[in-house]
Amino acid sequence: MFRPRRLVAAATILFVAVAGVRAVLAYGPASIGDTADWPVSTGLLLPSLLLGCLVAARAPASPIGPALALTALMPALVFTVEDWGSTYGTDAPWPGARVVGVISGGVWAWLFLGFVALVLLFPDGPLPGRRWRLIWAAVPVSAALVNFAVATDLANFADGRFGDPPFRLPDPLRRGLNFGAFALFFVVLLTAASSLVVRYRRGDRPTRLRLGWLTVAALSVPILLATSWLGIVLGAPADVMYGGFLITMFILVPGAITVAILRHDLFDVDRLLGTTLSWLVTTLISAAVFAAVVFAVGNFFPDRVGITTAAFVTALALLPLHHWIHRTVARLVDPDRTVALARIRDFVRRVRDGQAEPEQIESVLRDALDDPGLRVLLRRPGEQLDVPDGAIPLRTGDSLVGALTLGTTSARRLRRAREAVVEARLPIEVSRLRVELREALAEVRASRARLMEDVAAERQRLERDLHDGAQQRLIAIGMRLRSVQYQLSPGVPAYRELDEVVETLEHTVAELRRIAHGVRPSRLDDGLAVALRDLVADSTLPVDLVVPELEVAESAATTVYFTVGEAIANALKHARATRISISVGVTDQVLRAVVRDDGVGGAREGFGLRSMRDRVASAGGEFTVDSPPGAGTSITVEIPCAS
Amino acid sequence: MRIVIGEDSALFREGLSRLLTENGHDVAGTAETADSLVDVVRAVDPDLTIIDVRMPPTMTDDGARAAVTLRAERPDRPILMLSQHIETRHVVELVGTGGFGYLLKDRVLRVGDFLDAMRRVVDGGSALDPTIVAALVAPTRADDPLAALSAREREVLALVAEGRSNGAIAAQLVLAERTVESHMRSIFQKLRIDDAPDTHRRVIAVLTQLRQ
Repeated sequence: MFRPRRLVAAATILFVAVAGVRAVLAYGPASIGDTADWPVSTGLLLPSLLLGCLVAARAPASPIGPALALTALMPALVFTVEDWGSTYGTDAPWPGARVVGVISGGVWAWLFLGFVALVLLFPDGPLPGRRWRLIWAAVPVSAALVNFAVATDLANFADGRFGDPPFRLPDPLRRGLNFGAFALFFVVLLTAASSLVVRYRRGDRPTRLRLGWLTVAALSVPILLATSWLGIVLGAPADVMYGGFLITMFILVPGAITVAILRHDLFDVDRLLGTTLSWLVTTLISAAVFAAVVFAVGNFFPDRVGITTAAFVTALALLPLHHWIHRTVARLVDPDRTVALARIRDFVRRVRDGQAEPEQIESVLRDALDDPGLRVLLRRPGEQLDVPDGAIPLRTGDSLVGALTLGTTSARRLRRAREAVVEARLPIEVSRLRVELREALAEVRASRARLMEDVAAERQRLERDLHDGAQQRLIAIGMRLRSVQYQLSPGVPAYRELDEVVETLEHTVAELRRIAHGVRPSRLDDGLAVALRDLVADSTLPVDLVVPELEVAESAATTVYFTVGEAIANALKHARATRISISVGVTDQVLRAVVRDDGVGGAREGFGLRSMRDRVASAGGEFTVDSPPGAGTSITVEIPCAS
Repeated sequence: MRIVIGEDSALFREGLSRLLTENGHDVAGTAETADSLVDVVRAVDPDLTIIDVRMPPTMTDDGARAAVTLRAERPDRPILMLSQHIETRHVVELVGTGGFGYLLKDRVLRVGDFLDAMRRVVDGGSALDPTIVAALVAPTRADDPLAALSAREREVLALVAEGRSNGAIAAQLVLAERTVESHMRSIFQKLRIDDAPDTHRRVIAVLTQLRQ
């Protein structure tokens, strides 16, 4: 079974043991190398090992921990072999020093083993397929071949330290072996590098982001190797060139890999790294600017002026420079966070510009934080909001206005969500207020509609009572009076008087009928269409009335009836119209009535229109007037009616 | 004549039957609900049935529906509908038929006119309340043939629809009978109806036209 932690532990123990051996070689009787060699080389390798331990601790299933440890262990082993070989010819040679010394001539080929393993495993284990399994065998074989070819090459024995070579190959064969070994070695390195391309093509977004890091580091290795060789050829000190290469390979690459692997779980490290890096770069550039200005100005002015100018220029450049570097570094070190916050800021800007609805904040946060389970809970007016465990409370001042719950929680996600909430405060608050307003308005509308229905029912009852109660009684009284009258002889004065009384009674009944009609037109019992036809029959102007038989709610019908009546009255009174057309109908559950006249137009919002508007609004409808001067007036009433 | 009254208000029912009895008619039966009215009429088979439009059980138009039922059983049964206010929806199909009247309840107080209207209905004629006729003869669209009528012609038509004779119309409008006749010809021409000498058939023709 694959146990990354155990492998890392084994590598660490081995590393410590080997470092001990090298310490003995360096400071023991053999005294190999300078006194600084051991701490420098061990210090170079230690980061890889520690990063390996860190990865193994943070991501226990990842094969990258052992691979990083291997990148530290292999050089340690190689250095030990080299130091061991170096004891040959000293006062205190170690056992087998000559053989080891010969081998150590080409042992550097093994330095790459850890690195190649890293490239092949990054970021989530070996690639599937036979071809990719083959390379695991090819790596040690090619390293061994290079080691063998270099160790047995004549050049290794040129200084005569190790005496004669153990055997001499014919020249063509020797060249062939050298060429073949190096060719295979490079092919293996290139193939390992190409596995990154394959992974990049197949990979999802996080994989690609991780690979981006490694690719930069991986590319630097062959380039640096080639550069150091070129440098040595051109006469640069080998140690310096070699040192640069080692630093890159053993510190920058493992560092980049660790960040790539752990980035998603170590947010604070990202920020720390980003801030540190950006300040470091700012400091360096500021120093450079300072020096450049001092140098440039110092040639013409006394020292003090030069330094003052330099300080001034540097101070001027410092802040914008730092902002820019900070942004750039943050984008590089923690692209997810930068992208997420930028998206939210962009959304806030669009909300402010009226291009987006603040209610979309939930989906924007889900998108930005890559958390489909995220929810924005808003406190409704008059209700208590229970903030669930692990949710982020949203506050305005001291009052709790809502909460943000995450689909997946981790310390890092929580930290990021808190940052996001701060950025998204405005749309969250606005959408809460809008929800509150909407609900309050809906409640007001509903209660007004209920009230109107009650009023309509009340009017209907009143109208019935007038017709069936008072009116009926009056007529009954009238009939009794008539009966009494007919018992009298037509000549007596009481007979005439009773005639008058009955006539008054008739007028009273007619009056009552008019009053009842004002309360609620009884013709509405026959439907809105009949009532409207009856209404327009009284008009002194020709009226085109188009109205089908409709079944609509009492309050809607009454509202349309009275509004149309007022509109006709207005057209007669103010518009100097010669013709009125009225069309009424129901489409998409909206009762719509349009009253149009051919009068002078230019109707102004006055008492008449306002009372119509109020009447329509109280039935939950909309009232619009279109009255351009000289082009007639058109009044539209729209009332929602669920049929 | 033998009369059945369908009316739920006891006050009105008793007042009316007393008035009718005093004027020499025989109130052969009364009913308080639409259902019982149909039974009573079937049993009594009166010369005239007076029905309130609004009656129990639903207090909407049960009376009108009872009238329709009774007419379906005997198409020439004379019926006089009464109501507190104009309701045309369910009586309109009966309006054009002979032996049918529809009056507002307060017309009862003009006892003489009311008895006349009863007589016209029993004779197979028509007796419609002026307000109901006004509702029927009002033009509702620009292309309505009624829109082509002059105010005077409409007035004459309304009286025709009420069931008046040419002579009665002339007397009411203070016109010569010949003038009324020339108005009638003009009306029938504009409404594209064949003129008929008989008043009752004339009314029916007009109302049939209006009903459409």
